[in-house]
Amino acid sequence: MESSVQTTFNEGGAEITVTNETNIGGASGLLNVSMIDEIRNMTNVSDVAGELQVIEIVNTSLPSQSPLARMTVYGLDSSKLNLIGIKNVNGSVYEENSTQAIVGKYYCEKNNISIGDNLTIYGKNFDVVGIYETGAMYKDNSVYVSLDKLQNITDTYDVSSILVKTTENANDTAISQNIEKKYENISTLTSEELSSMLDNVIGILDSASLAISGLAIIVGAIGVINTMIMAVYERTKEIGVLKSIGWKSKKILIMILGETLVLTILSGIIGSLFGILIAEVGVKFFGTNGFTLVYTPQTFILAFGITIIVGIIGGVYPAYKASKLAPTEALRYE
Amino acid sequence: MELIRLQNVLKQFDKGAVTALNNINLSIEQGSFVSIIGPSGSGKSTLLNMLGALDSPDSGQVIINGVDLSTQKDLSDFRRHEIGFVFQLHNLIPNLSVQDNVEIPLMDSGLSEKEKHRRALLFIEAVGLLDKRKQKPNKLSGGERQRVAIARALVNFPSIILADEPTGALDTKTGAKILDVLRFVQRSVGATLIIVTHDIDVARLAQRTIEIRDGQIIRDYYNRR
Ligand SMILES: Nc1ncnc2c1ncn2[C@@H]1O[C@H](COP(=O)(O)OP(=O)(O)OP(=O)(O)O)[C@@H](O)[C@H]1O
Ligand SMILES: [Mg+2]
Repeated sequence: MESSVQTTFNEGGAEITVTNETNIGGASGLLNVSMIDEIRNMTNVSDVAGELQVIEIVNTSLPSQSPLARMTVYGLDSSKLNLIGIKNVNGSVYEENSTQAIVGKYYCEKNNISIGDNLTIYGKNFDVVGIYETGAMYKDNSVYVSLDKLQNITDTYDVSSILVKTTENANDTAISQNIEKKYENISTLTSEELSSMLDNVIGILDSASLAISGLAIIVGAIGVINTMIMAVYERTKEIGVLKSIGWKSKKILIMILGETLVLTILSGIIGSLFGILIAEVGVKFFGTNGFTLVYTPQTFILAFGITIIVGIIGGVYPAYKASKLAPTEALRYE
Repeated sequence: MELIRLQNVLKQFDKGAVTALNNINLSIEQGSFVSIIGPSGSGKSTLLNMLGALDSPDSGQVIINGVDLSTQKDLSDFRRHEIGFVFQLHNLIPNLSVQDNVEIPLMDSGLSEKEKHRRALLFIEAVGLLDKRKQKPNKLSGGERQRVAIARALVNFPSIILADEPTGALDTKTGAKILDVLRFVQRSVGATLIIVTHDIDVARLAQRTIEIRDGQIIRDYYNRR
């Protein structure tokens, strides 16, 4: 699980994000633009940019909280795009004060958007001129336009967050504490904190998925053992026939063991294929908000190992018991 | 020459509630043809199981070729080489064809595949099922299954042939043919043939008839030729 998330998590450009602490109806409050210049003048700060965030509901048939119903639009000066960690833009970057937009690669894929398409933001038509990629799925799920334009059409002259890039080797925590001291009602988040928060989430997901797979393994194991016991139990009579004809118990056990191995390996393969199928369908269905699926060989080795061990316990144990019976007793089973 | 001897054999079931064999003493000659008769539940099958080393007595001895079976740890070799057993319920392996069922006892015989097939087909033909050799047992009638079981019991030329109601499910004509096959194998290899039957006419074909009731031998006599 941990490997699933980390493949798409990459460090953004800005080390510190400043937001307004006061929450108004679920959305955080705004920050005055004058803060941008003030923070720029602080020591060890190399670059600062203001960012305005608006949410457009694009699909009214879905609940507005659903990620699929919402399109997140940011206004940011085009010269500051590096601060959000954009690696490359396919096409061109929007011009300042224009109705041009660049759209995250992931959002494009999800909504089938390509360069030249139109987006409606606050009732205005925007042209998609580029597709950007940061490498982090949750960041590539938005739309960026000129800050001036967005402020203009939304009649806002503030920003929702301020991105702060620090000089190399600077103490990000110290800087963010300085910012917090200087202003009231704001909160800061450093990229370190963000990554440790993400780690925590991943940790929770990890232990949850461990618990779920543990449960799945136990339930599956009981199922397999039960099936094998029934299958071999039904063959007690056959085992009796073979014994009465003079087969050695060992030979009978080897036969059952061989059959069990073939059966469990086959079911291991089928089970793995089904697992992959369900995972892929699940991701298609629910979307991968910051996740990609990663199949590690260990997962499959573990799954196979458990299947085989469980199959052998379920198959060989009853066969062993049956082979110890007197032939006449084994023959009495129907 | 004495082949089989039972001494004070006792066999009970259900924790002593049923006494299937009650103090049986018996001696059977090598190469003889013996029939066992008696009413249902008298202990015939139980006795045959003792003779075929398929079950062991609670007390007393089963001695075959001078060997006390209770001293033997693993009877599988003995069963495979010496015994041909035809069960009252034919006990074929359901997912194997007629021919494969008949070939099971030849599994470790060291014969080539070709020779195994030849042998199996010989006996399948003898019981009149050559055209059904590829069928699965569930496609066969009760009597046909019984005949497959007989072919299987004979295919490794056992020295002791034990048959529990071999003709029970067969019409008189087929029954007579099956008995011919059993006796042919018996004579040609000098085997000992012991059959359980409720048919007094079949029982009379044997040289000797043992009659049991309530787990005890009540009559033991030679049939006049
Ligand atoms: N495994 C067993 N458990 C309990 N009782 C048994 C068992 N095997 C046989 N018996 C009982 O022992 C007695 C003798 O059984 P057996 O099968 O030897 O009879 P049989 O003479 O072969 O009868 P039939 O002619 O009906 O086949 C019967 O009362 C039977 O119910
Ligand atoms: Mg019986």
